[in-house]
Amino acid sequence: MFTLVRLTSILALSAVTTGLFAAQDKLAFRDAFLQDQLAWSEVTETARQEGAVDFYYWGGDDRLNVWLERTIAPKMAEMGVTLVPHRITATRDAVDLVLAEARSGKALGEGSVDVIWVNGENFYTLAQHDLLYGSFAPLLPNASAFEWDANDPRGLLNLFDFGFPTEGREMPWSGEQYVCAVNRDLMPVDATPHTFADLERWLTEHPGTFTYVKPPHYLGNTFVQEALYALSPLGASGFQQPLASFTPESLARLMAPGMDYLRRLSPLLANARNDLARYPENDSALMTLFQNSQTAMECQFGLYHVATKGALGQMPPRTEEIIFPVNNMIKNKNYLVLTSNAPHPAAALTFINYMSSVEAQASKLSEVGYPLGVDLWTLSAQDQQVLMAAMPAHFGVTQTELDANIAPDIHASLVTVLETVWLKYVEQHSDRPFEDLVRDAMAP
Amino acid sequence: MNRTTRQWLALLPVLSVMLLLILGISLYAVAQSLGYAPIYGIDAFPTLHYYDLLWQQTGFWQSMGLTLYYAVIATVLALILGFFLALALVKQGRNHAWIHTLYKFPLMVPYLVAIAMVILIFGQGGLLARLSFALGWIDSPAGFADVLYSHYGWGIIIVYLWKQVPFMALSIYVVLMGMGNDTDEAALLLGARRWQRWLYVVLPQVIPGITSATLICFAFNLGAFEAPFILGGGFPDTLPVMAWRLFTDSDYNNRLTGMAAMVVIGLVLLLLIAIAGRLSRRVFQWQGAGHGR
Repeated sequence: MFTLVRLTSILALSAVTTGLFAAQDKLAFRDAFLQDQLAWSEVTETARQEGAVDFYYWGGDDRLNVWLERTIAPKMAEMGVTLVPHRITATRDAVDLVLAEARSGKALGEGSVDVIWVNGENFYTLAQHDLLYGSFAPLLPNASAFEWDANDPRGLLNLFDFGFPTEGREMPWSGEQYVCAVNRDLMPVDATPHTFADLERWLTEHPGTFTYVKPPHYLGNTFVQEALYALSPLGASGFQQPLASFTPESLARLMAPGMDYLRRLSPLLANARNDLARYPENDSALMTLFQNSQTAMECQFGLYHVATKGALGQMPPRTEEIIFPVNNMIKNKNYLVLTSNAPHPAAALTFINYMSSVEAQASKLSEVGYPLGVDLWTLSAQDQQVLMAAMPAHFGVTQTELDANIAPDIHASLVTVLETVWLKYVEQHSDRPFEDLVRDAMAP
Repeated sequence: MNRTTRQWLALLPVLSVMLLLILGISLYAVAQSLGYAPIYGIDAFPTLHYYDLLWQQTGFWQSMGLTLYYAVIATVLALILGFFLALALVKQGRNHAWIHTLYKFPLMVPYLVAIAMVILIFGQGGLLARLSFALGWIDSPAGFADVLYSHYGWGIIIVYLWKQVPFMALSIYVVLMGMGNDTDEAALLLGARRWQRWLYVVLPQVIPGITSATLICFAFNLGAFEAPFILGGGFPDTLPVMAWRLFTDSDYNNRLTGMAAMVVIGLVLLLLIAIAGRLSRRVFQWQGAGHGR
């Protein structure tokens, strides 16, 4: 009995010490990599030793799930890394897990999350709580496929995520644009709304034929952002500053026209009763209404969503994309982030690097229908051709028109205020003065 | 080792799980709602601040009202329907054994499936809507009366009833069968009228069984999340949905308010169970007194 106890304690002790050494190794590896002192072959060799990568991502899209399992996982296996996909319903869950593990003292090499698919608010939260690996992105071999020049306005999407500096702490993976689509059986071409005033006019004549996803879901937040931009005198540029640069009065003045509009619109939305709308909770609830011809128009992130959903028979046959709202269609990128307590950092670097290769980007484009994360103009003519050939089709609009009407996201630090004010003022029809609501939402 | 110790030891595995899971988590929830959450960088224990924030939520009392409304209506309807179903089953005897299997079917089906079924049948794109459209009663499937997604909560109540009527019927049926006919026949021989046999003989014997079945359904309905979340009428939400929204909010401070909402649901439930327990005992005593006369 006694020997058994002693044996187990020795085993436990040795396990602890190897764990300790492993953590130190990983720290040394991180510092060397971030100072650009490692050859890429050393990274891939360490990745092979680590053997796996834990990837946390929103798992609500079957095409993405299938692509990861059938196309990406075999490629990673060739590099000696097992891709372990963790499908989550909200990215927030992965952020919470990283935070909880970090707070319980799990350092680099000891956590359970390597890579998360993120953008905006979640990246901001990770950065605020110091949960990021470091400025790794520009050091990856495939970083050459991105525009990192701060003087080139086209590079802003790689350098700023919801107005918050990425500093290379996340690697762009996909581009996205918030696109509205209409069912031509219900809405003729000459009735197409291009501004928020057009939409209100249409809804006054056809109440209940439109709705948007309920904030704080990001699909809802984005619709609210576009209304704020289009109706504010300053446009999108007014919302690019951090929260600290606003007073409650100045922010209230900026937000009031958009929020007033949305409050006015709520009795006209689908399933509205007693002046209060019943908003869909997520994209599938939104699509159910649209597929059932209850709504004539829907908006979501998805530059190619009409093509990809249409190919699966999930769109009414005469669905077309529209330019709405003119000049204020939000375009952003989403990213792969490496966490501060990643269990397999080298394997994660290898994985992220492969995800931004032309090969992976082309198959993502054709098999999943997610827009490019890489910047086309940085690539060779041959690579450009490969990617152009993989692009899904547009219906009713051209890529040029879509490109001509883009706007950036609001600053990440404003998102919580937007959500809170929308919930109180637009959804709940609070009687309190608008400025008080904004002041409360801004209070830490 | 004496008998009592052995009994306690035998209970230990179950007890430890129950204590850890139920008591442990409840205590943790109470502690968080009182401001103990170092994970989120909040350590203000003890404070009632988060309960204060909860009262101040717009529509808190409406949420409370809606939560109680769905729970009470669904439980009372399930009780009445379940009681009659149980009586019918007793009367049937073993004549049609398949009925006894069939009525238990909803018990095996998860709530989420029941919710999906309700949407497929009663939704505006559902079977009834499409059928009415095909028959020319309405101009478009969307023109179908919107049974779901309203604060009347018919969708929620249908789901609860579909699942809980069989449960009530099963509990009451077992009690009725276990009771046997002896006491009823004795009363009949002593000259009791039909209503007297009901009130003084049958009812006192089934009430304890009914009470526990009713409380189980009521407790579930009060704390249930999926049905009100999916089929409810939007703002104001029921308390569990409100708690979920607060808990998944990006602002970590709101999580503690969400915990406070969960604790409030628990307290309301405990209060109602205490009242129900006392009431049923009183009814029981009153019945007993009547019986003795």
